[in-house]
Amino acid sequence: MSSQKSYSLPSFMNSDSSLPWLLPLITMLIVFAIIPFFYNIYLSFHEFVPAKRALLFVGWDNWIRLFTDGVFWGSLKVSLYYTFMCLLIQLVLGMGIALLIDSDDPGFGIIRSILTLTLVIPPAIAGMIFLIMEDANYGLIPWLLKSIGLIGPEDTILSDPTLALWGVMIVDIWQWTPFMVLILVAGLRSLPSEPFESAVIDGARPFQVFRRLTLPMLHKVIAVAVLIRGIDLWRMVDYVFVLTSGGPGTATYTLSLYSWQRFTFVQWGYGATISLFSLIVILIVGNAFIHFAKVKW
Amino acid sequence: MIRKISSYIILLIFIFPIFFLITSSFKNNIDLFALPPKLFFFDIDFSAYERVFGFSNFFKFDPSYSELFLTSRIIDSLIIGLGSSSLTLIIGIYAGYYISRVNFKFKRYLIISILSARMMPLVSIAIPIYFVYEKINLLDTYIGIIFVHTFINLPLAVLLLKSFFDEVPKQIDENAYIDGASKIKILHKLVVPCAKSGIAVTFILSLIFSWTEFICALMIGQMNVKTIPVQASILKTIPSWDMMAAFTTISIIPVFILILMVKKHFVRGLTLGTVKE
Repeated sequence: MSSQKSYSLPSFMNSDSSLPWLLPLITMLIVFAIIPFFYNIYLSFHEFVPAKRALLFVGWDNWIRLFTDGVFWGSLKVSLYYTFMCLLIQLVLGMGIALLIDSDDPGFGIIRSILTLTLVIPPAIAGMIFLIMEDANYGLIPWLLKSIGLIGPEDTILSDPTLALWGVMIVDIWQWTPFMVLILVAGLRSLPSEPFESAVIDGARPFQVFRRLTLPMLHKVIAVAVLIRGIDLWRMVDYVFVLTSGGPGTATYTLSLYSWQRFTFVQWGYGATISLFSLIVILIVGNAFIHFAKVKW
Repeated sequence: MIRKISSYIILLIFIFPIFFLITSSFKNNIDLFALPPKLFFFDIDFSAYERVFGFSNFFKFDPSYSELFLTSRIIDSLIIGLGSSSLTLIIGIYAGYYISRVNFKFKRYLIISILSARMMPLVSIAIPIYFVYEKINLLDTYIGIIFVHTFINLPLAVLLLKSFFDEVPKQIDENAYIDGASKIKILHKLVVPCAKSGIAVTFILSLIFSWTEFICALMIGQMNVKTIPVQASILKTIPSWDMMAAFTTISIIPVFILILMVKKHFVRGLTLGTVKE
Protein backbone atom coordinates (compact mmCIF):
# COMPACT_ATOMS: atom_id res chain seq x y z
CA MET A 1 0.00 0.00 0.00
CA SER A 2 1.45 3.33 -0.98
CA SER A 3 0.84 6.09 1.39
CA GLN A 4 -0.27 8.73 -1.02
CA LYS A 5 1.92 11.78 -0.80
CA SER A 6 -0.15 14.87 -1.15
CA TYR A 7 1.52 16.90 -3.84
CA SER A 8 0.72 20.52 -3.60
CA LEU A 9 2.33 22.43 -6.38
CA PRO A 10 2.90 26.14 -5.99
CA SER A 11 0.01 28.40 -6.83
CA PHE A 12 1.20 29.00 -10.39
CA MET A 13 -0.13 25.57 -11.28
CA ASN A 14 -3.38 25.88 -9.42
CA SER A 15 -4.30 29.11 -11.10
CA ASP A 16 -5.05 27.44 -14.44
CA SER A 17 -8.57 26.36 -15.17
CA SER A 18 -9.14 22.71 -14.38
CA LEU A 19 -11.86 22.38 -16.95
CA PRO A 20 -9.94 21.38 -20.09
CA TRP A 21 -8.06 18.67 -18.18
CA LEU A 22 -11.02 17.06 -16.53
CA LEU A 23 -13.75 17.85 -19.04
CA PRO A 24 -13.55 14.57 -21.04
CA LEU A 25 -13.57 12.52 -17.83
CA ILE A 26 -16.47 14.44 -16.32
CA THR A 27 -18.40 14.23 -19.59
CA MET A 28 -17.98 10.46 -19.60
CA LEU A 29 -19.07 10.25 -15.96
CA ILE A 30 -22.16 12.34 -16.66
CA VAL A 31 -23.14 10.51 -19.84
CA PHE A 32 -22.53 6.96 -18.64
CA ALA A 33 -23.12 7.21 -14.87
CA ILE A 34 -25.31 10.18 -13.95
CA ILE A 35 -27.68 9.99 -16.91
CA PRO A 36 -28.18 6.21 -16.59
CA PHE A 37 -28.78 6.65 -12.87
CA PHE A 38 -31.59 9.17 -13.41
CA TYR A 39 -32.88 7.27 -16.43
CA ASN A 40 -33.15 4.20 -14.19
CA ILE A 41 -35.15 6.23 -11.71
CA TYR A 42 -37.39 7.44 -14.54
CA LEU A 43 -37.84 3.89 -15.84
CA SER A 44 -38.63 2.55 -12.39
CA PHE A 45 -41.80 4.65 -12.38
CA HIS A 46 -42.79 3.57 -15.88
CA GLU A 47 -43.58 0.30 -17.55
CA PHE A 48 -43.90 -0.83 -21.12
CA VAL A 49 -47.50 -1.70 -21.89
CA PRO A 50 -47.58 -4.10 -24.84
CA ALA A 51 -51.24 -3.39 -25.68
CA LYS A 52 -50.49 0.31 -26.17
CA ARG A 53 -46.91 -0.20 -27.37
CA ALA A 54 -45.79 2.59 -25.10
CA LEU A 55 -43.94 3.30 -21.90
CA LEU A 56 -46.58 4.52 -19.42
CA PHE A 57 -46.33 6.09 -15.99
CA VAL A 58 -47.25 3.55 -13.32
CA GLY A 59 -46.35 5.37 -10.10
CA TRP A 60 -44.96 3.18 -7.34
CA ASP A 61 -46.19 -0.07 -8.95
CA ASN A 62 -42.71 -1.35 -9.82
CA TRP A 63 -41.43 -0.69 -6.31
CA ILE A 64 -44.45 -2.36 -4.71
CA ARG A 65 -43.99 -5.29 -7.05
CA LEU A 66 -40.28 -5.41 -6.15
CA PHE A 67 -40.94 -5.81 -2.43
CA THR A 68 -43.69 -8.40 -2.90
CA ASP A 69 -41.89 -10.43 -5.56
CA GLY A 70 -40.62 -13.76 -4.22
CA VAL A 71 -38.21 -14.18 -7.13
CA PHE A 72 -36.65 -10.81 -6.30
CA TRP A 73 -36.10 -11.79 -2.65
CA GLY A 74 -34.71 -15.11 -3.84
CA SER A 75 -32.27 -13.38 -6.18
CA LEU A 76 -31.27 -10.94 -3.44
CA LYS A 77 -30.53 -13.90 -1.20
CA VAL A 78 -28.52 -15.58 -3.97
CA SER A 79 -26.55 -12.38 -4.60
CA LEU A 80 -25.79 -11.93 -0.90
CA TYR A 81 -24.89 -15.58 -0.37
CA TYR A 82 -22.76 -15.65 -3.50
CA THR A 83 -20.93 -12.44 -2.61
CA PHE A 84 -20.22 -13.33 1.02
CA MET A 85 -19.35 -16.98 0.54
CA CYS A 86 -17.06 -16.37 -2.42
CA LEU A 87 -15.42 -13.44 -0.69
CA LEU A 88 -14.79 -15.44 2.46
CA ILE A 89 -13.50 -18.54 0.66
CA GLN A 90 -11.32 -16.52 -1.68
CA LEU A 91 -9.90 -14.46 1.15
CA VAL A 92 -9.08 -17.45 3.36
CA LEU A 93 -7.73 -19.58 0.52
CA GLY A 94 -5.91 -16.60 -0.92
CA MET A 95 -4.27 -15.77 2.40
CA GLY A 96 -3.21 -19.39 2.87
CA ILE A 97 -1.68 -19.66 -0.57
CA ALA A 98 -0.12 -16.20 -0.28
CA LEU A 99 1.65 -17.18 2.96
CA LEU A 100 2.80 -20.36 1.25
CA ILE A 101 4.34 -18.72 -1.80
CA ASP A 102 5.68 -15.57 -0.13
CA SER A 103 9.35 -16.28 -0.76
CA ASP A 104 12.35 -14.88 -2.62
CA ASP A 105 12.99 -18.19 -4.33
CA PRO A 106 12.70 -17.72 -8.13
CA GLY A 107 10.51 -20.83 -8.36
CA PHE A 108 7.81 -18.98 -6.46
CA GLY A 109 8.09 -16.04 -8.84
CA ILE A 110 7.16 -18.36 -11.69
CA ILE A 111 4.16 -19.57 -9.70
CA ARG A 112 3.04 -15.98 -9.24
CA SER A 113 3.25 -15.17 -12.92
CA ILE A 114 1.40 -18.34 -13.95
CA LEU A 115 -1.34 -17.59 -11.44
CA THR A 116 -2.10 -14.34 -13.30
CA LEU A 117 -3.35 -16.38 -16.26
CA THR A 118 -6.70 -17.36 -14.76
CA LEU A 119 -7.51 -13.70 -14.07
CA VAL A 120 -7.50 -12.58 -17.68
CA ILE A 121 -9.75 -15.28 -19.08
CA PRO A 122 -13.05 -13.63 -20.03
CA PRO A 123 -15.51 -14.74 -17.33
CA ALA A 124 -17.98 -15.89 -19.97
CA ILE A 125 -15.24 -18.12 -21.40
CA ALA A 126 -14.31 -19.42 -17.94
CA GLY A 127 -17.97 -20.31 -17.62
CA MET A 128 -17.72 -22.27 -20.88
CA ILE A 129 -14.72 -24.23 -19.61
CA PHE A 130 -16.66 -25.28 -16.54
CA LEU A 131 -19.78 -25.93 -18.60
CA ILE A 132 -17.80 -28.68 -20.28
CA MET A 133 -16.25 -29.85 -17.03
CA GLU A 134 -19.54 -29.92 -15.10
CA ASP A 135 -21.66 -31.56 -17.81
CA ALA A 136 -24.12 -34.01 -16.29
CA ASN A 137 -23.20 -36.95 -18.51
CA TYR A 138 -19.63 -36.51 -19.66
CA GLY A 139 -18.27 -33.86 -17.33
CA LEU A 140 -15.09 -34.39 -15.39
CA ILE A 141 -16.23 -32.91 -12.08
CA PRO A 142 -19.49 -34.91 -11.62
CA TRP A 143 -17.57 -38.04 -12.63
CA LEU A 144 -14.90 -37.31 -10.04
CA LEU A 145 -17.45 -36.57 -7.32
CA LYS A 146 -19.36 -39.73 -8.18
CA SER A 147 -16.31 -41.93 -8.10
CA ILE A 148 -15.34 -40.71 -4.63
CA GLY A 149 -18.96 -41.02 -3.57
CA LEU A 150 -19.74 -37.41 -2.69
CA ILE A 151 -22.81 -37.34 -4.91
CA GLY A 152 -25.07 -40.20 -5.95
CA PRO A 153 -24.81 -41.85 -9.39
CA GLU A 154 -27.91 -40.07 -10.71
CA ASP A 155 -27.07 -36.62 -9.31
CA THR A 156 -26.08 -33.66 -11.44
CA ILE A 157 -24.53 -30.36 -10.49
CA LEU A 158 -25.89 -27.59 -12.67
CA SER A 159 -29.47 -28.85 -12.82
CA ASP A 160 -29.73 -29.57 -9.12
CA PRO A 161 -31.38 -26.70 -7.18
CA THR A 162 -29.09 -27.00 -4.16
CA LEU A 163 -25.83 -27.72 -5.99
CA ALA A 164 -26.25 -25.38 -8.98
CA LEU A 165 -25.16 -22.26 -7.11
CA TRP A 166 -22.04 -24.04 -5.89
CA GLY A 167 -21.43 -25.17 -9.45
CA VAL A 168 -21.31 -21.48 -10.36
CA MET A 169 -19.35 -20.44 -7.29
CA ILE A 170 -16.62 -22.97 -8.00
CA VAL A 171 -15.85 -21.12 -11.25
CA ASP A 172 -15.61 -17.81 -9.43
CA ILE A 173 -13.43 -19.33 -6.73
CA TRP A 174 -11.19 -20.94 -9.32
CA GLN A 175 -10.83 -17.81 -11.38
CA TRP A 176 -10.51 -15.19 -8.65
CA THR A 177 -8.67 -16.82 -5.74
CA PRO A 178 -5.41 -15.96 -7.59
CA PHE A 179 -6.58 -12.32 -7.47
CA MET A 180 -6.47 -12.45 -3.66
CA VAL A 181 -3.23 -14.44 -3.72
CA LEU A 182 -1.42 -11.94 -5.94
CA ILE A 183 -2.59 -8.88 -4.02
CA LEU A 184 -1.83 -10.42 -0.63
CA VAL A 185 1.58 -11.67 -1.77
CA ALA A 186 2.37 -8.18 -3.02
CA GLY A 187 1.34 -6.87 0.39
CA LEU A 188 3.36 -9.49 2.26
CA ARG A 189 6.43 -8.82 0.12
CA SER A 190 6.32 -5.13 0.98
CA LEU A 191 6.25 -5.66 4.77
CA PRO A 192 9.46 -4.81 6.66
CA SER A 193 11.27 -7.85 8.04
CA GLU A 194 12.49 -6.40 11.38
CA PRO A 195 9.29 -6.82 13.43
CA PHE A 196 9.05 -10.44 12.32
CA GLU A 197 12.67 -11.17 13.22
CA SER A 198 12.30 -9.70 16.68
CA ALA A 199 9.03 -11.58 17.21
CA VAL A 200 10.77 -14.86 16.40
CA ILE A 201 13.59 -13.97 18.81
CA ASP A 202 10.97 -13.25 21.50
CA GLY A 203 9.65 -16.75 20.93
CA ALA A 204 6.28 -15.95 19.32
CA ARG A 205 4.47 -18.86 17.73
CA PRO A 206 3.74 -18.62 13.96
CA PHE A 207 0.01 -18.16 14.56
CA GLN A 208 0.63 -15.36 17.06
CA VAL A 209 2.94 -13.65 14.57
CA PHE A 210 0.25 -13.92 11.92
CA ARG A 211 -2.51 -12.54 14.16
CA ARG A 212 -0.58 -9.82 15.97
CA LEU A 213 1.79 -8.69 13.22
CA THR A 214 0.89 -9.82 9.71
CA LEU A 215 -2.84 -9.14 9.81
CA PRO A 216 -2.67 -5.63 11.32
CA MET A 217 0.15 -4.62 8.99
CA LEU A 218 -1.73 -5.97 5.98
CA HIS A 219 -5.12 -4.54 6.81
CA LYS A 220 -5.03 -1.85 4.13
CA VAL A 221 -4.11 -4.30 1.40
CA ILE A 222 -6.82 -6.68 2.58
CA ALA A 223 -9.34 -3.83 2.60
CA VAL A 224 -8.60 -2.91 -1.02
CA ALA A 225 -8.75 -6.53 -2.14
CA VAL A 226 -12.06 -7.11 -0.33
CA LEU A 227 -13.53 -3.88 -1.72
CA ILE A 228 -12.71 -4.58 -5.34
CA ARG A 229 -13.57 -8.26 -5.19
CA GLY A 230 -16.81 -7.51 -3.34
CA ILE A 231 -17.89 -5.01 -6.00
CA ASP A 232 -17.23 -7.48 -8.79
CA LEU A 233 -18.93 -10.35 -6.96
CA TRP A 234 -22.03 -8.26 -6.36
CA ARG A 235 -22.40 -7.32 -10.01
CA MET A 236 -21.39 -10.72 -11.40
CA VAL A 237 -23.60 -11.90 -14.23
CA ASP A 238 -21.37 -13.69 -16.75
CA TYR A 239 -21.03 -17.02 -14.96
CA VAL A 240 -24.70 -17.57 -14.21
CA PHE A 241 -25.60 -16.41 -17.70
CA VAL A 242 -23.37 -18.99 -19.36
CA LEU A 243 -23.65 -21.85 -16.87
CA THR A 244 -27.26 -21.95 -15.71
CA SER A 245 -29.09 -18.90 -17.12
CA GLY A 246 -30.58 -18.61 -13.64
CA GLY A 247 -31.88 -22.15 -13.47
CA PRO A 248 -32.91 -24.67 -12.43
CA GLY A 249 -36.11 -22.71 -11.87
CA THR A 250 -34.94 -19.51 -10.22
CA ALA A 251 -32.28 -21.12 -8.03
CA THR A 252 -29.31 -19.17 -9.41
CA TYR A 253 -30.83 -15.81 -10.29
CA THR A 254 -28.59 -13.04 -9.08
CA LEU A 255 -29.93 -9.48 -8.97
CA SER A 256 -28.08 -8.54 -12.15
CA LEU A 257 -29.24 -11.60 -14.03
CA TYR A 258 -32.84 -11.20 -12.89
CA SER A 259 -32.81 -7.57 -13.94
CA TRP A 260 -31.35 -8.47 -17.32
CA GLN A 261 -33.89 -11.24 -17.76
CA ARG A 262 -36.85 -8.93 -16.95
CA PHE A 263 -35.41 -6.51 -19.47
CA THR A 264 -35.38 -9.14 -22.22
CA PHE A 265 -38.99 -9.99 -21.33
CA VAL A 266 -39.83 -6.37 -22.21
CA GLN A 267 -40.56 -5.50 -18.57
CA TRP A 268 -38.21 -2.57 -18.95
CA GLY A 269 -39.46 -0.61 -15.97
CA TYR A 270 -39.28 -3.53 -13.59
CA GLY A 271 -35.85 -4.60 -14.87
CA ALA A 272 -34.58 -1.05 -14.30
CA THR A 273 -36.07 -1.06 -10.78
CA ILE A 274 -34.15 -4.21 -9.87
CA SER A 275 -30.88 -2.89 -11.29
CA LEU A 276 -31.43 0.44 -9.53
CA PHE A 277 -31.91 -1.38 -6.24
CA SER A 278 -28.69 -3.31 -6.72
CA LEU A 279 -26.89 -0.10 -7.73
CA ILE A 280 -28.05 1.81 -4.65
CA VAL A 281 -27.04 -1.04 -2.34
CA ILE A 282 -23.51 -1.25 -3.72
CA LEU A 283 -23.04 2.54 -3.76
CA ILE A 284 -23.98 2.81 -0.08
CA VAL A 285 -22.10 -0.29 1.08
CA GLY A 286 -19.06 0.41 -1.09
CA ASN A 287 -18.66 4.03 -0.07
CA ALA A 288 -19.27 3.19 3.60
CA PHE A 289 -16.59 0.52 3.34
CA ILE A 290 -14.14 2.98 1.78
CA HIS A 291 -14.90 5.43 4.58
CA PHE A 292 -14.70 3.04 7.54
CA ALA A 293 -11.83 0.87 6.29
CA LYS A 294 -9.96 4.11 5.50
CA VAL A 295 -9.03 3.05 2.00
CA LYS A 296 -7.10 5.90 0.42
CA TRP A 297 -6.56 6.79 -3.20
CA MET B 1 10.91 -28.38 0.07
CA ILE B 2 7.48 -29.48 1.27
CA ARG B 3 6.44 -25.88 0.82
CA LYS B 4 7.63 -25.87 -2.74
CA ILE B 5 5.94 -29.14 -3.62
CA SER B 6 2.62 -28.08 -2.12
CA SER B 7 2.82 -24.75 -3.95
CA TYR B 8 3.30 -26.55 -7.23
CA ILE B 9 0.38 -28.86 -6.48
CA ILE B 10 -1.85 -25.83 -5.86
CA LEU B 11 -0.58 -24.29 -9.08
CA LEU B 12 -1.47 -27.48 -10.96
CA ILE B 13 -5.01 -27.32 -9.60
CA PHE B 14 -5.37 -23.76 -10.83
CA ILE B 15 -3.99 -24.35 -14.30
CA PHE B 16 -5.71 -27.69 -14.79
CA PRO B 17 -8.93 -26.25 -16.33
CA ILE B 18 -6.84 -24.31 -18.85
CA PHE B 19 -4.83 -27.41 -19.68
CA PHE B 20 -8.03 -29.44 -19.96
CA LEU B 21 -9.56 -26.87 -22.29
CA ILE B 22 -6.57 -26.75 -24.61
CA THR B 23 -6.24 -30.52 -24.83
CA SER B 24 -10.00 -30.86 -25.40
CA SER B 25 -9.77 -28.67 -28.46
CA PHE B 26 -7.43 -31.22 -30.08
CA LYS B 27 -9.48 -34.28 -29.24
CA ASN B 28 -11.76 -36.12 -31.59
CA ASN B 29 -15.37 -36.74 -30.68
CA ILE B 30 -14.68 -40.11 -29.06
CA ASP B 31 -11.82 -39.04 -26.80
CA LEU B 32 -13.69 -35.88 -25.87
CA PHE B 33 -16.42 -37.81 -24.08
CA ALA B 34 -14.20 -40.48 -22.59
CA LEU B 35 -14.50 -41.05 -18.85
CA PRO B 36 -12.04 -41.20 -17.15
CA PRO B 37 -10.80 -38.32 -19.33
CA LYS B 38 -7.86 -38.88 -21.64
CA LEU B 39 -5.52 -36.19 -20.44
CA PHE B 40 -2.32 -37.04 -22.25
CA PHE B 41 -2.79 -39.85 -24.73
CA PHE B 42 -5.29 -39.11 -27.44
CA ASP B 43 -5.28 -38.76 -31.22
CA ILE B 44 -4.62 -35.19 -32.19
CA ASP B 45 -7.39 -33.79 -34.36
CA PHE B 46 -7.51 -30.29 -35.83
CA SER B 47 -11.00 -30.46 -37.26
CA ALA B 48 -12.49 -28.24 -34.56
CA TYR B 49 -10.12 -25.43 -35.55
CA GLU B 50 -11.05 -25.84 -39.19
CA ARG B 51 -14.67 -25.45 -38.24
CA VAL B 52 -14.33 -22.40 -35.98
CA PHE B 53 -12.36 -20.61 -38.67
CA GLY B 54 -14.85 -21.66 -41.32
CA PHE B 55 -12.39 -23.71 -43.39
CA SER B 56 -14.46 -26.84 -43.21
CA ASN B 57 -17.07 -27.79 -45.76
CA PHE B 58 -19.39 -28.69 -42.93
CA PHE B 59 -20.98 -25.25 -42.61
CA LYS B 60 -20.05 -23.81 -45.96
CA PHE B 61 -23.49 -24.01 -47.53
CA ASP B 62 -25.38 -22.68 -44.57
CA PRO B 63 -24.93 -18.91 -44.34
CA SER B 64 -26.54 -18.74 -40.90
CA TYR B 65 -23.41 -20.33 -39.47
CA SER B 66 -21.06 -17.83 -41.02
CA GLU B 67 -21.46 -15.54 -38.00
CA LEU B 68 -19.90 -18.26 -35.90
CA PHE B 69 -16.57 -17.89 -37.55
CA LEU B 70 -13.96 -16.78 -35.16
CA THR B 71 -12.01 -14.52 -37.50
CA SER B 72 -14.70 -11.87 -37.70
CA ARG B 73 -15.29 -12.09 -33.92
CA ILE B 74 -11.58 -11.51 -33.29
CA ILE B 75 -11.69 -8.50 -35.61
CA ASP B 76 -14.73 -7.12 -33.74
CA SER B 77 -13.07 -7.62 -30.37
CA LEU B 78 -9.83 -6.04 -31.60
CA ILE B 79 -11.53 -2.97 -33.07
CA ILE B 80 -13.50 -2.43 -29.87
CA GLY B 81 -10.56 -3.21 -27.60
CA LEU B 82 -8.02 -1.02 -29.39
CA GLY B 83 -10.52 1.78 -29.92
CA SER B 84 -11.70 1.89 -26.35
CA SER B 85 -8.26 1.56 -24.79
CA SER B 86 -6.93 4.38 -26.95
CA LEU B 87 -9.82 6.62 -25.97
CA THR B 88 -9.43 5.58 -22.33
CA LEU B 89 -5.76 6.43 -22.44
CA ILE B 90 -6.29 9.89 -23.97
CA ILE B 91 -8.91 10.83 -21.37
CA GLY B 92 -7.02 9.11 -18.56
CA ILE B 93 -3.65 10.77 -19.17
CA TYR B 94 -5.00 14.32 -18.88
CA ALA B 95 -7.31 13.60 -15.97
CA GLY B 96 -4.76 11.42 -14.18
CA TYR B 97 -2.03 14.02 -14.52
CA TYR B 98 -4.28 16.79 -13.28
CA ILE B 99 -5.47 14.78 -10.29
CA SER B 100 -1.89 13.79 -9.50
CA ARG B 101 -0.42 17.29 -9.62
CA VAL B 102 -3.07 19.77 -8.62
CA ASN B 103 -5.02 20.13 -5.40
CA PHE B 104 -8.40 21.42 -6.42
CA LYS B 105 -11.49 21.94 -4.34
CA PHE B 106 -13.62 19.02 -5.41
CA LYS B 107 -10.78 16.52 -5.88
CA ARG B 108 -12.01 14.24 -3.09
CA TYR B 109 -15.51 14.18 -4.59
CA LEU B 110 -14.13 13.49 -8.03
CA ILE B 111 -12.23 10.46 -6.74
CA ILE B 112 -15.34 9.25 -4.92
CA SER B 113 -17.32 9.62 -8.15
CA ILE B 114 -14.69 7.70 -10.07
CA LEU B 115 -14.80 4.88 -7.52
CA SER B 116 -18.60 4.93 -7.51
CA ALA B 117 -18.53 4.58 -11.29
CA ARG B 118 -16.36 1.49 -10.78
CA MET B 119 -19.04 0.06 -8.45
CA MET B 120 -22.00 0.37 -10.79
CA PRO B 121 -23.51 -2.96 -11.78
CA LEU B 122 -23.01 -3.12 -15.53
CA VAL B 123 -26.64 -4.10 -16.07
CA SER B 124 -27.75 -0.81 -14.51
CA ILE B 125 -25.63 1.05 -17.08
CA ALA B 126 -26.57 -1.16 -19.99
CA ILE B 127 -30.36 -0.84 -19.73
CA PRO B 128 -30.52 3.00 -19.90
CA ILE B 129 -27.72 3.14 -22.44
CA TYR B 130 -29.68 0.72 -24.60
CA PHE B 131 -32.57 3.20 -24.82
CA VAL B 132 -30.32 6.19 -25.36
CA TYR B 133 -28.41 4.37 -28.09
CA GLU B 134 -31.66 3.30 -29.70
CA LYS B 135 -32.63 6.95 -30.06
CA ILE B 136 -29.30 8.07 -31.50
CA ASN B 137 -28.74 4.97 -33.65
CA LEU B 138 -25.67 3.70 -31.86
CA LEU B 139 -27.01 0.22 -31.17
CA ASP B 140 -25.04 -2.52 -32.87
CA THR B 141 -22.15 -0.24 -33.80
CA TYR B 142 -18.48 -0.37 -32.90
CA ILE B 143 -18.44 3.17 -31.65
CA GLY B 144 -21.31 2.48 -29.24
CA ILE B 145 -19.51 -0.36 -27.52
CA ILE B 146 -16.22 1.54 -27.65
CA PHE B 147 -17.77 4.37 -25.62
CA VAL B 148 -19.24 2.03 -23.01
CA HIS B 149 -15.98 0.12 -22.63
CA THR B 150 -14.13 3.40 -22.33
CA PHE B 151 -16.39 4.36 -19.47
CA ILE B 152 -15.93 0.95 -17.82
CA ASN B 153 -12.14 1.21 -18.03
CA LEU B 154 -11.83 4.88 -17.07
CA PRO B 155 -11.76 4.40 -13.26
CA LEU B 156 -8.92 1.93 -13.66
CA ALA B 157 -7.05 4.12 -16.13
CA VAL B 158 -7.40 7.43 -14.28
CA LEU B 159 -6.43 6.07 -10.86
CA LEU B 160 -3.65 3.86 -12.20
CA LEU B 161 -2.16 6.64 -14.31
CA LYS B 162 -2.44 9.00 -11.34
CA SER B 163 -0.38 6.56 -9.28
CA PHE B 164 2.23 6.32 -12.05
CA PHE B 165 2.36 10.12 -12.42
CA ASP B 166 2.75 10.42 -8.63
CA GLU B 167 6.06 8.59 -9.05
CA VAL B 168 7.42 11.13 -11.53
CA PRO B 169 9.17 13.72 -9.36
CA LYS B 170 7.30 17.01 -9.38
CA GLN B 171 10.71 18.71 -9.45
CA ILE B 172 10.73 18.02 -13.19
CA ASP B 173 7.51 19.98 -13.64
CA GLU B 174 8.70 22.89 -11.54
CA ASN B 175 12.04 23.26 -13.31
CA ALA B 176 10.37 23.16 -16.71
CA TYR B 177 7.82 25.71 -15.58
CA ILE B 178 10.53 28.08 -14.47
CA ASP B 179 12.09 27.68 -17.93
CA GLY B 180 8.80 28.89 -19.36
CA ALA B 181 7.10 25.69 -20.53
CA SER B 182 3.32 25.49 -20.41
CA LYS B 183 1.61 22.83 -18.35
CA ILE B 184 0.41 20.94 -21.40
CA LYS B 185 3.92 20.97 -22.87
CA ILE B 186 5.37 19.70 -19.60
CA LEU B 187 2.95 16.77 -19.69
CA HIS B 188 3.60 15.94 -23.35
CA LYS B 189 7.37 16.40 -23.46
CA LEU B 190 8.47 15.46 -19.95
CA VAL B 191 5.97 13.57 -17.83
CA VAL B 192 4.56 11.24 -20.46
CA PRO B 193 8.03 10.00 -21.52
CA CYS B 194 8.94 9.46 -17.85
CA ALA B 195 5.80 7.44 -17.22
CA LYS B 196 5.67 5.64 -20.55
CA SER B 197 5.92 2.14 -19.08
CA GLY B 198 2.99 2.96 -16.80
CA ILE B 199 1.02 4.25 -19.77
CA ALA B 200 1.74 1.08 -21.72
CA VAL B 201 0.58 -1.00 -18.75
CA THR B 202 -2.65 1.00 -18.53
CA PHE B 203 -3.26 0.54 -22.24
CA ILE B 204 -2.75 -3.22 -22.08
CA LEU B 205 -4.94 -3.63 -19.00
CA SER B 206 -7.73 -1.62 -20.63
CA LEU B 207 -7.41 -3.81 -23.70
CA ILE B 208 -7.68 -6.95 -21.58
CA PHE B 209 -10.73 -5.73 -19.67
CA SER B 210 -12.43 -4.66 -22.87
CA TRP B 211 -11.66 -8.09 -24.35
CA THR B 212 -13.26 -9.82 -21.36
CA GLU B 213 -16.33 -7.58 -20.84
CA PHE B 214 -19.57 -9.39 -21.51
CA ILE B 215 -22.93 -7.97 -20.53
CA CYS B 216 -22.68 -4.50 -22.13
CA ALA B 217 -21.28 -5.94 -25.33
CA LEU B 218 -24.14 -8.43 -25.33
CA MET B 219 -26.82 -5.79 -24.96
CA ILE B 220 -25.43 -3.20 -27.37
CA GLY B 221 -24.03 -5.49 -30.05
CA GLN B 222 -26.99 -7.17 -31.69
CA MET B 223 -26.42 -8.73 -35.08
CA ASN B 224 -23.30 -7.33 -36.67
CA VAL B 225 -21.03 -6.55 -33.76
CA LYS B 226 -20.28 -9.42 -31.42
CA THR B 227 -17.25 -9.61 -29.20
CA ILE B 228 -15.66 -12.92 -28.33
CA PRO B 229 -17.38 -13.51 -24.94
CA VAL B 230 -20.76 -12.75 -26.52
CA GLN B 231 -20.11 -15.23 -29.30
CA ALA B 232 -19.02 -17.78 -26.70
CA SER B 233 -22.34 -17.47 -24.89
CA ILE B 234 -24.12 -18.12 -28.19
CA LEU B 235 -21.89 -21.09 -29.03
CA LYS B 236 -23.23 -22.69 -25.88
CA THR B 237 -26.49 -23.37 -27.70
CA ILE B 238 -24.69 -25.41 -30.35
CA PRO B 239 -23.49 -28.30 -28.24
CA SER B 240 -20.23 -29.08 -29.95
CA TRP B 241 -17.57 -29.39 -27.30
CA ASP B 242 -14.58 -29.49 -29.57
CA MET B 243 -15.70 -26.27 -31.26
CA MET B 244 -16.35 -24.64 -27.92
CA ALA B 245 -12.90 -25.67 -26.74
CA ALA B 246 -11.16 -24.53 -29.92
CA PHE B 247 -13.00 -21.22 -29.87
CA THR B 248 -12.16 -20.51 -26.25
CA THR B 249 -8.55 -21.64 -26.62
CA ILE B 250 -7.93 -19.20 -29.43
CA SER B 251 -9.71 -16.40 -27.62
CA ILE B 252 -7.67 -16.65 -24.43
CA ILE B 253 -4.22 -16.94 -25.99
CA PRO B 254 -3.94 -13.24 -26.93
CA VAL B 255 -4.76 -12.15 -23.37
CA PHE B 256 -2.24 -14.63 -21.96
CA ILE B 257 0.48 -13.08 -24.08
CA LEU B 258 -0.59 -9.56 -23.10
CA ILE B 259 -0.71 -10.32 -19.40
CA LEU B 260 2.72 -11.92 -19.33
CA MET B 261 4.03 -8.67 -20.80
CA VAL B 262 2.69 -6.62 -17.89
CA LYS B 263 2.69 -9.15 -15.06
CA LYS B 264 4.92 -6.96 -12.90
CA HIS B 265 2.28 -4.24 -12.75
CA PHE B 266 -0.77 -6.43 -12.86
CA VAL B 267 -1.49 -6.31 -9.12
CA ARG B 268 -1.21 -2.56 -9.22
CA GLY B 269 -3.75 -2.47 -12.02
CA LEU B 270 -6.16 -4.80 -10.25
CA THR B 271 -6.11 -2.63 -7.13
CA LEU B 272 -6.51 0.61 -9.13
CA GLY B 273 -3.00 1.76 -8.31
CA THR B 274 -2.99 1.27 -4.56
CA VAL B 275 -0.93 -1.90 -4.03
CA LYS B 276 2.50 -1.96 -5.61
CA GLU B 277 4.56 -5.04 -6.21
